Amino acid sequence: MATADPVSDMTAQADHTGAGLLVLLAPMTQEQLQGMLAHLTASFPAESLLVFSPDALPPDSDPALRFAAVPATSTSWTLNAADFVNAYHLAEENKARAVLMLGPESSSLDLSALHSLAHAVLAAPTDLAVSCYDLPPYAGLVNSAILYPLTRALFASPVRYPLAPDICLSLRMAERLAGVAQRFTATNQADAPLWPVNEAAVAGFDIGQFDVGPRLQHQPTGPGLNTILPLVTGSLFADIDAKAAFWQRFRPFPAVHNAIATSHIHTGGASPDTTPMLQTFRLAYTNLQEIWSLVLPPSSLLGLKRLAATDGVAFRMPDSLWARIVYDFLLAYRLRTINRGHLLGALIPLYLAWVASHINITTSGSDTESHIEAVAAAFEAEKTYIVSRWRWPDRFNS
Amino acid sequence: MQNVIATMLLPAPDQAPQPMYAGNASIWHHMSDALHQSLDRVLSLLIAILPGILAFIAALVVLTLIGIALSALLRRGLAAIRFDERLVRERGNVDWAPSTSPSSLIARASFWCCVLLGLIIGVSAFDASYATAATFTNSLLPYLTRVVGAVLLLIAGTLFARFLARSVLIEAVNAHLEYSRFLSLGIKWLVLVLTGAMALDHLEIGGIVVELAFGILFGGIVLTLALAVGLGSRDLVSRSLESHAEHASERGLAPPAAPAAGHGDPIRHF
Repeated sequence: MATADPVSDMTAQADHTGAGLLVLLAPMTQEQLQGMLAHLTASFPAESLLVFSPDALPPDSDPALRFAAVPATSTSWTLNAADFVNAYHLAEENKARAVLMLGPESSSLDLSALHSLAHAVLAAPTDLAVSCYDLPPYAGLVNSAILYPLTRALFASPVRYPLAPDICLSLRMAERLAGVAQRFTATNQADAPLWPVNEAAVAGFDIGQFDVGPRLQHQPTGPGLNTILPLVTGSLFADIDAKAAFWQRFRPFPAVHNAIATSHIHTGGASPDTTPMLQTFRLAYTNLQEIWSLVLPPSSLLGLKRLAATDGVAFRMPDSLWARIVYDFLLAYRLRTINRGHLLGALIPLYLAWVASHINITTSGSDTESHIEAVAAAFEAEKTYIVSRWRWPDRFNS
Repeated sequence: MQNVIATMLLPAPDQAPQPMYAGNASIWHHMSDALHQSLDRVLSLLIAILPGILAFIAALVVLTLIGIALSALLRRGLAAIRFDERLVRERGNVDWAPSTSPSSLIARASFWCCVLLGLIIGVSAFDASYATAATFTNSLLPYLTRVVGAVLLLIAGTLFARFLARSVLIEAVNAHLEYSRFLSLGIKWLVLVLTGAMALDHLEIGGIVVELAFGILFGGIVLTLALAVGLGSRDLVSRSLESHAEHASERGLAPPAAPAAGHGDPIRHF
């Protein structure tokens, strides 16, 4: 997506008559860009559109379309702080009413997806329109294991993909996110991910979730799971820590505009091999006991001991155990029980154990989505645990 | 032979016979003189630095009392003007525990500032007093500063060793290395040995022996680790090379799957 300060260059190129919808695109090939522009002009009147892309305008595009190229782009795999700062500056300069931000590989999105996202903000009183994807059964597992259940339990938000790369923002939502993002860019953390759903929940803005169908998920290139998982979970934990006053109070589920037509049911298919993940978990169990015992209460350690002794196919991590593990790591992050890098590194083998358990559960006939919903429900049920330990951290509940 | 010994034991003809007790008295006299002089020197030094020590204690106690009074005053004053509530109103929704509320932090900071000021004043008074007593030959106090430095070195080294050992352990476990604990222990002892050698060198103990011992130990640990890692990580290197080769061939064709995935559906963590 766009980098930190291309605004002054771009506003000169763009028309200042005011755009209804400002579209901010991630880098893509010329064919993809051409397809995306065709989709956009088919969905919206070209006069109301203003498109910013890091790539050059394809030669045979609609001449009525207002297009401006942004300079160099960051290589982040998701939307980051710099993107939100740029989005708001561009929207403000061009008097846009809504900002549609499309992440890498967004060309694989359906035409109707773009329309529903933008229409929700332009026509309805929605401040944040978030995509809900129809992904393969074993895709987006970090989201299913940690991001979605935590966001749902603590912020009472049913948004299935809190870190969705394709979102649409109202101007006031873009302004709020830019304000948050500026704190990161000011401290040289332009690549830090932001949590729009949490921000919207705290601000009391309207959130909409829209079924956008299947999408090619852009996988981070270079850094692997050992780098990205601590980065993402650390960012979410920090955000939760900053918003503790909000989520500690009891809240009913807000009225989120859920435009999900069908529940995505995935069953069957060949299951991945869980052996390497279980090996990592058992290796960690023999080596990381000292670190885990600083973070986890005895009951969770006992649960892990039982798990380590379980054979491959019968390996099942109870949902409540996983919820408590994540909550205990969240609390240790807040209290700085150990170095935060070490803490999040020590979470990786436990996450892999959850993935192995999830695969075993779904292979044995359970629906993927219903297991993820059960995990999210366990996080909600255990919310009292995190609230009480947050207030009285010295008490290790059994 | 007996004649020779008898001749040696006889007193010389020109030498006047001396009473045995006179020599003993002289030794005792010299010893007593030496002890008195030493006692005088130590007492003089103590008398010279005693005002400094008293000044140090007095400055610390007085400033600590002032700190306590100031802290209590600030705490009450800020509570009276509802400082915390005003700050919450201005800064928005901020969650503070009672022990970390802004007024408590300000009061605590003021107390510790006073204590620090007392320490600085006390140390400077002691320093001035010690400088006047420095005419006496004394090497104990400068050595004490070296001891403090060595202790600080040891503490810092131990903390760094523990941090590094944990980092290596977690990274090695996440990289599926079977000998993670061994590697972590090796790194920890490398840093501890280095720290110990630095502390001894700082204390000027051992000289060349410490340097030699350190070189042998350090080299031994490095060699052991190199052998262990070299022999044990063949699988890791081959896995890494295979993964790079697969990644290069798949680039641009399809999104890469996680390396943990086996032969079924690919696992995508993100």
